[in-house]
Amino acid sequence: MRALVIDDSRAMRRIVSGILIGLGYEVRDAGHGREGLDVLDEGWKPHLLCVDWNMPVMDGLQFVSAVRSNPAWRSVTIMMVTSESEHTQIVRALAAGAHEYVIKPFTADAIRDKLALLGLLPEEVPAGVPVPLRSSEQEVAL
Amino acid sequence: MKILIADDSRVMRQIVIRTLRQAGYDDHDIVEAEDGADALAKVGSEKPDLVLSDWNMPNMTGIECLEALRSSGSSVPFGFVTSEGSPEMREKAANAGALFLIAKPFTDDTFREHLDGVIA
Amino acid sequence: MTTMDTGERRRSSDVRPVITDLIDGATVLSIAEEAWIALVGEDEILVPIPGEPPVDIVSSWVDIVGPWTGSVVLTTGRGTAEELSRALLREAAPEVLEHEDVEDAFGEIANVVGGNVKAALPGPSGLSLPQVGNAPVVRNPVDVCRVDVVWRGEPVSISVQGALPPLPVPSPTRENEVPL
Repeated sequence: MRALVIDDSRAMRRIVSGILIGLGYEVRDAGHGREGLDVLDEGWKPHLLCVDWNMPVMDGLQFVSAVRSNPAWRSVTIMMVTSESEHTQIVRALAAGAHEYVIKPFTADAIRDKLALLGLLPEEVPAGVPVPLRSSEQEVAL
Repeated sequence: MKILIADDSRVMRQIVIRTLRQAGYDDHDIVEAEDGADALAKVGSEKPDLVLSDWNMPNMTGIECLEALRSSGSSVPFGFVTSEGSPEMREKAANAGALFLIAKPFTDDTFREHLDGVIA
Repeated sequence: MTTMDTGERRRSSDVRPVITDLIDGATVLSIAEEAWIALVGEDEILVPIPGEPPVDIVSSWVDIVGPWTGSVVLTTGRGTAEELSRALLREAAPEVLEHEDVEDAFGEIANVVGGNVKAALPGPSGLSLPQVGNAPVVRNPVDVCRVDVVWRGEPVSISVQGALPPLPVPSPTRENEVPL
């Protein structure tokens, strides 16, 4: 499975990408919404988009709206990555067409659980087997 | 006594003032603040004897205001009047040094219950 | 740190609750009734029957973000929202109500109802500031608890509605189509 991680923070891109690669994803990343659209325009078809909210050039809301208005990208699942203080934004992002959200700081398990709900785990990791990622239980502090 | 009422809703400030009066606490000076930052500034300039504050406000929340007051050395009596009366909020309020938390919706009885002994 | 990934934890997180698992219409109604009595007036009765919906409607709502994520939305006719605002302001009501007064008063009712709904739900959750305008869309028809009442002869609806779309139905073909 393929995922596109869109975040203006390089550290955040690395963290999210690391978790997804650990789960078996093929990952590309982008620094803001416009760059994200460019990757999609190339014809690379991800199953999952992990999108930050506050970004320069094109923010998360604009990006989600752009993706949702294009029928070619209808089947992609969008997960917002946001911070705890942005309650109104979370509901607004979901209303714009996002499917799920995770709140920073999050654990690898939190992401895995949400992907399991969405049916987006590349291979079913059975209960009792740890995620193949050393920091799976560490809180990602950002 | 001088009472500072902090709420971003003008309507709610009026309802709090009205309820104070109905509960029998008239004859007090009322000062209004429209968010936590305004309340923090007015505790300094107006020197109120009691602060009644909402929790969720733009700029600075009620709990942030209380924490800022306590860390700056102010011990002004402080109580919440908020739509969020869950046990976790009450605990947070008490830990930060609030005297009480009145949950919205409230009546004049609720006010008397919490303010008896606080307002002279 | 080695935390065992127990089946218990996975089971609890494998389920996403819908609002009807967490709160019922009777609870929402009693929260609204209490808010009306305290804010609007002691004799203000909400009659739990659906009324004829008006054409020109306005909503006020707060968002709840936590184990359950969604909005608590009040919707009524524009005229009724003004009447509610006058009732809240009482003697302080100006002759001509400004849009700002209605936003403030109608929003505050949503804030009080929403804050009490939040307290009845599993936490910890966050609550947004009130908003007034066109209500957020219903994403998942199953994730809604709606109560219709009539106040002073006018219909008001109170909708506790989830913000997340329905989960995809698992299919053996591993098609990842998620409904909008």
